Amino acid sequence: MKIKEVIAVVNLMQADGVIECYAIGGAVGATFYLEPVATLDVDIFVSFRTEPGKLVVDPRNILDYLTSHGHSLKGEYVVIADWPVQFLPPTSPLVEEALREAVTVDVEGQPARVFTAEHLAAIALQTGRAKDKARLLQFVQAGALDAMRFEVILTRHNLLDRWRKFERQFLSGTP
Amino acid sequence: MSLDLQRILAGKRALRRELAALPVAEKLRLLDDLRERELTLRRSARPPTSNVAREQPARYPAKGT
Repeated sequence: MKIKEVIAVVNLMQADGVIECYAIGGAVGATFYLEPVATLDVDIFVSFRTEPGKLVVDPRNILDYLTSHGHSLKGEYVVIADWPVQFLPPTSPLVEEALREAVTVDVEGQPARVFTAEHLAAIALQTGRAKDKARLLQFVQAGALDAMRFEVILTRHNLLDRWRKFERQFLSGTP
Repeated sequence: MSLDLQRILAGKRALRRELAALPVAEKLRLLDDLRERELTLRRSARPPTSNVAREQPARYPAKGT
């Protein structure tokens, strides 16, 4: 399985101290909770080791490490086991929290750190593109969200109004 | 097989539930297959023209917004 190879490489990066911690997000992350949906890339959110006094995140360590291990760069992506992988810093308090509270899932004996379903859904709501809304709808229809946990996250990150709007738009009359 | 829309939709929901309930490793294997299929379809498709409407890439909000 190629995605398993991607996870193995990211675990190795963590073990080698290139990244502090990581969590799988996006469509691949959602697949841990929902039915698989075609996607072309893998989103890995990472916390970087920042040097004292430096505010800007520098992904050079990651890129140097991966290229020295035989992986190639393609635009914004690193190609690992044929999958374009994007390493993303947490860009909002919500994503920072999602990274902190990510869970470890066993994939055939290998640990994979992934955002919780509630954080994936909240991030989809916050990002708000058509496909994010479709994913959020999948989470709701699959009954994959803990309602209390989800509401706490939405409240903490000022997303309740957006959620109410989403409910009005897409969930009135959902079986 | 039925042409009853309600039954068709219920069948789709049931299939999605079955797929979602598969072991994670199996679902990740399906992602590999789906991606291969998607790439094959894209390779065989006509090249897009410049005036095609497209989705914008994700803009994750910056801190504090």
